[in-house]
Amino acid sequence: MLNFFSPALLLLLQEETSRFAQMKQAAFNPDLSKFLVIGALLFIIGVAGVLTRRNIIVIFMSIELILNAANLNFIAFSRYLTETGSPNALAGQIFSVFVIVVAAAEAAIGLGIVIALYRNKETIWVDEIDLLKW
Amino acid sequence: MTLSGYEALFFWIFALAAIFAGLLTVMARNAVHSALFLISSLVSVAALFVLARAEFIAGVQILVYVGGVMVLFLFVIMLVNVGAEERGTEQIFNKSRQVTTSLIFCLLLAGALLFAVNRGYVGLQRLRPIPETTGEQRAARDAVHAIGGTGSSRITKDAEGLGNSLYRYASLPFEIASVLLLVAIIGSVMLARTLRQEASADDVDPDTLKVEAVNDPELAKLEPRSE
Repeated sequence: MLNFFSPALLLLLQEETSRFAQMKQAAFNPDLSKFLVIGALLFIIGVAGVLTRRNIIVIFMSIELILNAANLNFIAFSRYLTETGSPNALAGQIFSVFVIVVAAAEAAIGLGIVIALYRNKETIWVDEIDLLKW
Repeated sequence: MTLSGYEALFFWIFALAAIFAGLLTVMARNAVHSALFLISSLVSVAALFVLARAEFIAGVQILVYVGGVMVLFLFVIMLVNVGAEERGTEQIFNKSRQVTTSLIFCLLLAGALLFAVNRGYVGLQRLRPIPETTGEQRAARDAVHAIGGTGSSRITKDAEGLGNSLYRYASLPFEIASVLLLVAIIGSVMLARTLRQEASADDVDPDTLKVEAVNDPELAKLEPRSE
């Protein structure tokens, strides 16, 4: 009885395992959406750091994390558009160069502000810097 | 743009490394540890750039971020840090109500972003589908590039193409970016000067100088160069 059914069963089993392997392959092999998900997670970690930390320098580092997540998205889209044969696919990479420039300028100015602030208020905790609060 | 084989494996390794290092950046008690974890996160993201065939941006990322910005961060931490964090007496997060609210906000943001990525990716695939390529076509496309030094890989023309389009289509923004960097340099030097340095360059209001000189005897010794 089992011998009679076994070819059909075997075929079914083979089909199922190959379908499962394909699904596993699709989940494991990263495409554009996986890059975007990693970028989104890095962005959210950065936002959480900005909102929860008290140390102003760590807040700056979280901002760097956010800018970096944006860069990751630009690069991933650039790669995707390259493969679709888009003529201006490199625009994403150019834009991420400018994001890096702005991040460097922001870090220089921000850290200058931190030093000036520390000289005047003797603190780096953002909840003690409340001059504009009523 | 599906990565496969070793590329997929390395993608997951570096993606997990970037996210864990990012989390540790936000959660580390010592600001120096935060900076070091941020460096490892940035290096992992640079590796992801390499996997996305953006070698030039990966190099710029390591040179500018890890070499420039993070060294600046470490300097400022050492100038400013009072050492209270390491002793563990200070609270590193905001008040717990603020933290709870912002974490709820972040979870909502995460849900919205993941939903948007999933829906948007399906739409993008329909709008701009990637044409099917066979392995031979891909090999023929890669055969144009020169063979790298190890002989097992090929050098892409990423940097060449990027330089071409940067100067051809974005030369005005490029110049504006250099002016922005100049302004940033001058601005941070101006911001970080002490009152004594400002006084020695004769850059302070004489009345302010008189008031401050009462507190700081060093300032009184400085002769104003002009009246």
